[in-house]
Amino acid sequence: MIPVSTSTPAISTAQPEDFFQLLKPRVMSLVIFTAATGLVVAPGSVNPIVAAIAILCIAVGAGAAGTFNMALEGETDALMRRTRGRPVAAGRLKKNDAMAFGVVLSVFSVMLLGMNTNWFAAGLLLMTIVYYAVFYTLMLKRRTPQNIVIGGAAGAFPPVIGWAAVTGDAPWQAWLLFLIIFLWTPPHSWALALYSTGDYAKAGIPMMPVARGARSTRLQILLYSLVFVPSAIAPGLVGMGGPLYLAVSILGGLMFLALAVRLWRSRAGDAPDGIGRDGTEVVGREAALYDVRAEAKPARNLFAFSILYLTVLFAALLIESFATFGAT
Amino acid sequence: MSVYLTPEQLTARNRRSRWIAIGLVAFIVVIFLSTFLRMQRNLAERTAQQQVVAEMAR
Repeated sequence: MIPVSTSTPAISTAQPEDFFQLLKPRVMSLVIFTAATGLVVAPGSVNPIVAAIAILCIAVGAGAAGTFNMALEGETDALMRRTRGRPVAAGRLKKNDAMAFGVVLSVFSVMLLGMNTNWFAAGLLLMTIVYYAVFYTLMLKRRTPQNIVIGGAAGAFPPVIGWAAVTGDAPWQAWLLFLIIFLWTPPHSWALALYSTGDYAKAGIPMMPVARGARSTRLQILLYSLVFVPSAIAPGLVGMGGPLYLAVSILGGLMFLALAVRLWRSRAGDAPDGIGRDGTEVVGREAALYDVRAEAKPARNLFAFSILYLTVLFAALLIESFATFGAT
Repeated sequence: MSVYLTPEQLTARNRRSRWIAIGLVAFIVVIFLSTFLRMQRNLAERTAQQQVVAEMAR
């Protein structure tokens, strides 16, 4: 043992992995993907190293937003199966350490993006962090069942920031990419919420199934899907995407609608959740996401397909645009 | 007051320190690359401007 001569001991056993978990790596991977799409689809050319640094900054900025969210929501996260293993919720990291980490990441990511590309993109990144940490986490999440509808805007900003990093502005085409993610968020999040109702109720979060009931949520998922799918097809109709995008968006869109209709006609969310296929309580993040009983399967299927559909949409845009993405 | 760190705390601190070092080095590399590319871009723009001025003067 090594003696340390301080009156307030630094006795943290937090590992680097705990700090990495604060960044919400899964969300970050989607942010990297959508920001890269915005960057590549935007007209004009940018040095590949500048592009890579810009994507890194956007990803770290999104990670900072996730860090603030986990720091501020530690007590709530501890009440839910899906989130109780998070570093702050599990007590492996102190709230203040997580907050400090978030501040450092925010400052570095915004400053570096501004220096590397332009200050308009950096301003959008800063706005996204503040929007998610303050507007969504502190203000909306506990006050309205529309929390993820309004808060979902934070997750929709990355392609706009990527676009702005290249051109220095954000034309309507960039906002069309924003709209796709914005309208995708409610059906995606509510499908998950339908089989996590108990968790949200326990944590006092007025998610739609808790506040309005499963039946109303299933209807709203269908209504949002009816608006979302045309917006997903739109880039193929206005010339942003080519034949590949159009085919993928139409076929995937029809599948998305079919799953939304099936969910609407199902009884997903009516029975108590948290029980797996074998009749025992599900524990752990993966199990909480995918191990569900038969009646909740339509919700699980839409949740899983929504991730695939969004990924494929942006992948198609990326592939078609990559040929014209040149270096200076 | 002397506080003794357990082997577990010591290992955790060393691992955190190592990753902070890696993060700092990565940050320095990114700043270097960013500065270098910005200077290269600015120099190219200035050269292009000088050529335009020279052609107009002719």
